[in-house]
Amino acid sequence: MSFAILVDITRCIGCEECVLACKDENDLGPDRLRPGQEAVSGLSATRYSTILRYPNDHFVRHQCRHCLEPACVSACLVGAMQKTPEGAVVYDSSLCMGCRYCLVACPYGIPRYEWDEAAPLVQKCTLCHHRLVEGGVPACVEACPEDALLFGERDELLAEAHRRIAQNPGKYVDHVWGETEVGGTSVLYIADMSLGFLGWSDKLGETALPHLTWASLKKVPWMVVGMGSLMGGIYWVVNRRMKLAARAADGAPFHADPVPIDTDAAHFVTDEAPSDTDHPAAPAEERGTDHD
Amino acid sequence: MTRRLTTLKTVLWFLVGVLASVTVIRFAHGLGAVTNLSDAAPWGLWIGFDVMSGVALAAGGFVLAGIVYIFGLERYRPFVRAAILTALLGYALVAAGLLYDLGLPWRIWHPIFHWQWHSVLFEVAACVMLYLTVLVLEFLPVVLEHRFFQGEFFQRMVKVLKRFTIVLVIAGIILSTLHQSSLGSLFLITPYRLHPLWYSPIIYVLFFVSAVGLGLMTVVLESLFSNYFLGHKVHKREVSGLGLAASVLLWIYVVLRLGDLAFRGVLGMALDGTWQANLFVAEMALSAVIPAALMLYKPVRSSMTGVGVAASMVVGGMIWHRLNVSIVAFARPEGVGYFPSWEEFAVSFGLVAAGILVFLFFVENLNVFDDVKGHPPEEPPGYDPEAARSFLPGSLALPRRYSVAVLAGAVLALPFLPLSGVPPRPVPVQGPRSVEALILDRGEAEIRTLMFAGAAHLSPASVAGSVAPGTLQTARVLLLDGNRDGDVVLFHHDDHAERLGGDRSCETCHHLTKPLDQNTSCAECHRDMYEPMSVFHHGVHVERLGGNQGCVDCHTGETTVKSYETITECSDCHRNEIAQRAFVKAPPPRWGEAVGYMDAMHGLCVACHEREARMDPGQRPEGLDRCMTCHNVDWREDVQRLQPRPRSAEWVVGGTGSASRAAGQGGSMP
Repeated sequence: MSFAILVDITRCIGCEECVLACKDENDLGPDRLRPGQEAVSGLSATRYSTILRYPNDHFVRHQCRHCLEPACVSACLVGAMQKTPEGAVVYDSSLCMGCRYCLVACPYGIPRYEWDEAAPLVQKCTLCHHRLVEGGVPACVEACPEDALLFGERDELLAEAHRRIAQNPGKYVDHVWGETEVGGTSVLYIADMSLGFLGWSDKLGETALPHLTWASLKKVPWMVVGMGSLMGGIYWVVNRRMKLAARAADGAPFHADPVPIDTDAAHFVTDEAPSDTDHPAAPAEERGTDHD
Repeated sequence: MTRRLTTLKTVLWFLVGVLASVTVIRFAHGLGAVTNLSDAAPWGLWIGFDVMSGVALAAGGFVLAGIVYIFGLERYRPFVRAAILTALLGYALVAAGLLYDLGLPWRIWHPIFHWQWHSVLFEVAACVMLYLTVLVLEFLPVVLEHRFFQGEFFQRMVKVLKRFTIVLVIAGIILSTLHQSSLGSLFLITPYRLHPLWYSPIIYVLFFVSAVGLGLMTVVLESLFSNYFLGHKVHKREVSGLGLAASVLLWIYVVLRLGDLAFRGVLGMALDGTWQANLFVAEMALSAVIPAALMLYKPVRSSMTGVGVAASMVVGGMIWHRLNVSIVAFARPEGVGYFPSWEEFAVSFGLVAAGILVFLFFVENLNVFDDVKGHPPEEPPGYDPEAARSFLPGSLALPRRYSVAVLAGAVLALPFLPLSGVPPRPVPVQGPRSVEALILDRGEAEIRTLMFAGAAHLSPASVAGSVAPGTLQTARVLLLDGNRDGDVVLFHHDDHAERLGGDRSCETCHHLTKPLDQNTSCAECHRDMYEPMSVFHHGVHVERLGGNQGCVDCHTGETTVKSYETITECSDCHRNEIAQRAFVKAPPPRWGEAVGYMDAMHGLCVACHEREARMDPGQRPEGLDRCMTCHNVDWREDVQRLQPRPRSAEWVVGGTGSASRAAGQGGSMP
């Protein structure tokens, strides 16, 4: 079962009860200006969720979207970020080494870092995972006095979102943000305005970001095998040629180390030493005749 | 030892001294103290330069090893040892740079035990660790040539290592191919943040090809530097050969990069005149096109100056490319910039300086450039009478000179460092504005209410009908960000001054303020909105509990003193009256206090409202369980002050704040 939150922007009055409940639940303490921060009202290490104010009484709740296939989870090299079966993306601070690739990877720019700590950690919304496992609901959902936040199974919430849009055709923009973006998220939005500004791009595609890196990563075994056989093969051919050339030249015994190459042996690797074509008859450097 | 080498070393030692001071502050106070990194720019110079560029610059190691050992082009052998040493030091510096950049550097070993196959960074980390090991094994025979290691054990070790040379070289090539390309793959996951001119589905191919070209040019540049500073022989024919090889690879890089842009249909973006487009054109010209074209001309290629210029362009240009990918062309929220702090530069340069010093140490004591068996350097340990005379005389002149340089660097850096950590910054406050307000004054017993006069339905004319004549006045009051939360409230300065004691009251708010604050915030005095307070009424309790018989209901012990210290907790009786959403979750063991005003009101009202609305939806007013039932500005003036947030657009002032809230909470004058 995968839980989700449905945010109905048309119902939010911007009272910030959810923000306070979140700060209280997660014991985040008072806001203070972190390095690089201009106002305390944005997301920060002491604010897992916040309310963005937009013209005409639009209040947009900003928090971790708990993507179905999270970029941060695939980015973390030690597995400190995990997507739980309950739907939450949680962070294990005991594994984190502080590389901050999760901050780089997130398509919504959510994770925050404790820049002014000597032993800093990543901070982000956990969907109150500790409450979910006990059968509870996230603190923000519980605190919302206007029912702007709905908590439940993701499928049911999607159905509810579409039902609301269908019942109020003029009211809502016909789009459920989070249904398909970056492969779908566990925090869904319906609104009477476009919420494209919430991500790094107005139009986040439907591809889950981990697929993009996996396209390159899955080639690794083939690269190892391919590069290994290619290099081994070239070495074998070159070495054998040099051995034959050396034997033909003075009948010297075979030498385990690569022996100096002569111009005969070089012609089939001109790509790597194009200058050979400039000096086809150049004699080997005198140092080259020393066996290693 | 030449004078120019002495000067170089002095400068390098100075940089190491600066590095030492910055290091202390970095680890004592964290990243925020010495860097300009932020949530918007999580990766900065230390990743872009030390890691991205450092790894690419060290590519010469595996390229030269491949050329000589695999392709058998023996005439490049004189470059191999220096290239491998450079690679070894380069990767060591990458690891050192990571120790600075990682938030929790003491966990740098975590990837060895915690594997996450789907992370590109894991692959990079694994490859870099393995390749560093391979490089150490590749370079170890050179170290073991030294006369300190002539024992039988070491010589046997050399034999074993040499037997595995080809295996090590091939392993090095595989590992390098993997992580040189994977440094590019790191950015595959940021299609929406990295500018399309730099983002590419084949970015890993571009990183690999450019790294090979860059590696060749680094070897060239290094050879020229060792000629300049150490007087080593330049192998001119081979240097120009490397230049031509680099040219071929750079052309492949150019074709791949432009071809990919064309294939994706964004080539036009490169010429549309935006700063990114100009950056792209300049970067491509400097890093690849111009040097690659230069290297095609034989006169330029044969001149060491020509090759040096081209190599410098490639090295500079490719560092620039890596910085562009990881920093410059990487999207940040609007208005948030990133430029490295001087400490970040100091660490990057200091690490490079340390690397060069180690390189020089190896070159002076081992056969790095003269790859001839049994031929340790015959130069005496560098004593240069001229250099010594110019500084402190004596046989320790140079070591002393360098020690002074380190000390000077370390001391000179200190005044510029945040020795006590990240300085706290004042919370930004919206500047106060003078605005017109309505004051509803219904006599001494009633609470006076401030209202924002800008709202249409609250003009004096519209309100006048609903209130008693003479109770409504207009006045100019301040609109200020009283609680430093970005929300403005109406503030009647004269009224505060009057209540607090006239002219002598200024200091209450304007003198004993907190550091970095201009004046005391509202909440410092108006705490009762949020904080629990002592409001226990003993008389009421005595009466309700039936006079003196009721004493033992609270003062339970028969023989104990009947005092505050021995009292039963309020919550023991008033268990069901604790506000559901009170900020104070767990009352202290002996709390004789009531919850704050807001919690008390919410706790008393909201639960019942919600219950009634749910049980009897048809009979109750619509939205009984909604905030607006009580906090609605359209309701009577005496509940308007409870209104938490703006209701209509014209009330929003200054873009972020809400004047309606001002008309409510902040404006109610106690």
